[in-house]
Amino acid sequence: MSTRSEAYLRGVPMKRYDMIREGLIVLGAVTAVVVLLAVSFGTPDYPTVTGKEVATKQPMLFLQRSLAYFSGQSGLQTYGPPYTKHDQNAQEVFGFISPARWIGVVNPVDARHDLAMDPLERIAVLDPEVAKALAIYTHAPPDQQQRWIKSYSAALRRATDDNGRVVLPQGDYGPVATLMNGMLSLARAGLLEGTLDSSSRLPYDLNNTKSLLFLEGPIENNVARHLNELGNQWGMTNEMGPYPGAWWLWSYAFLYQLPGIASSPNADLIAGLIMATAFLVLIFLPVIPGLNRIPYRIPVYRLIWRDWYRRFEGQP
Amino acid sequence: MNIDAKLQAWLRSHLTLEDALPTQMPVYVNSMAYFFGTATLSALAVVIGSGMVIAIFGPGWWHVSPVGHFFNSVHFWAVEIFYFGLVLHMLAKFFKAAWRDGRWRTWVIGLVTFAVTIFSGITGTLLQENWDAQWNAVQGKDPMNALGLAWMNTMDPGQLLTLHVALFPLLIVLFAAIHIAFVRSESPVRPIVLGSRRGAR
Repeated sequence: MSTRSEAYLRGVPMKRYDMIREGLIVLGAVTAVVVLLAVSFGTPDYPTVTGKEVATKQPMLFLQRSLAYFSGQSGLQTYGPPYTKHDQNAQEVFGFISPARWIGVVNPVDARHDLAMDPLERIAVLDPEVAKALAIYTHAPPDQQQRWIKSYSAALRRATDDNGRVVLPQGDYGPVATLMNGMLSLARAGLLEGTLDSSSRLPYDLNNTKSLLFLEGPIENNVARHLNELGNQWGMTNEMGPYPGAWWLWSYAFLYQLPGIASSPNADLIAGLIMATAFLVLIFLPVIPGLNRIPYRIPVYRLIWRDWYRRFEGQP
Repeated sequence: MNIDAKLQAWLRSHLTLEDALPTQMPVYVNSMAYFFGTATLSALAVVIGSGMVIAIFGPGWWHVSPVGHFFNSVHFWAVEIFYFGLVLHMLAKFFKAAWRDGRWRTWVIGLVTFAVTIFSGITGTLLQENWDAQWNAVQGKDPMNALGLAWMNTMDPGQLLTLHVALFPLLIVLFAAIHIAFVRSESPVRPIVLGSRRGAR
């Protein structure tokens, strides 16, 4: 035994012990429990939501999303750091604590270009109609472009779904309807994600940022609501279905249930800072007066060491 | 200066073979509460073992192979047991005020290890190639961005994979090893004795 342990344990009765043996027994028991749970319950699994699926089953929802990116009106267009330079949209606390702003644009995303114009340019290579529509659109004056987008957006709200075919009311949408149908066809062919994620490093690309961002919002929120996984439904602590999720994050998820935080545009930063503060309190707990006395006031230790107290309490 | 002699002297005072592989233990180490740490470590071993098998075949394996699905399930449930043991371990250490008698470093390194496991767990969730991964990637990006952690992109599986199978396991094993070395070097904290100088610290 080390000299420091010898000094610390001087006068304490010792018993025989075999750490490796005990460890192997516990390891065996834990492994058995894990294997039993794995065999009995398997793993929660629910398929991804794909562009193809949404474009086929919810074409109008898909077109609304595509139009938001195409028109530059999506929230992602002005998200702020780390995607865009709109610093004013970065979450902040007390007006000056804004880590996102400090970090800056580290993952640049131009939603209009990356999620709409770039795929349309690729579709244009394959589809002459889209190529023609794209040429008309890009050469039109900006106010004309906006008129087309506005009338198409209004028409989309009154459109009907005829067995997957989107039927728009009569109107002047210019080339916009053709372009949006091009996006719809791309997604229905199962090519949306590949098109969005392909970069100059092809055939190597391990980054799915753009395709994951595309379907974010109302489309995925509906699925998450159905599976009880929205933030106000305790979010990440729920795995889909009856499985336990990351339940150890319950205190973090709890913060999102508080109205004052949940409704704040800075909710993520507030919750994160509270958790960071709580972690620091835990770290320094041994030297925080009052908190470091809790174990003495709630004497669970007497239960843990009950055998010791029964045998040796009161002895010198 | 003889480095070997210095190292021997340090080991004699801090971590002898008897500390590393103890054949005797203070009699007050006699409670189920002492099993929580061992159970946590055992679950960690199962997490790492199943993770190594999954790493060989890749994150998509479990979607196409029943054997892959089994190992993925083992990985999933081992994580659940790991945190179950860890939470009980932390509670037991808290209620024993186990930071006493100079053991604050053990307390701190344990908490730091816990924090790293949180990020390891998040990256693992994001690599499942299913709805939970997809949903948590887009949901998780906002807190990460707000906290200035955007360099860890929840939507970049290439980056997440290297973090999950290399950096985070390395840190967890390293910190856990330091944690255990402290525990063994300092020996288990004595029972609280109210009124005594030792117990009050």
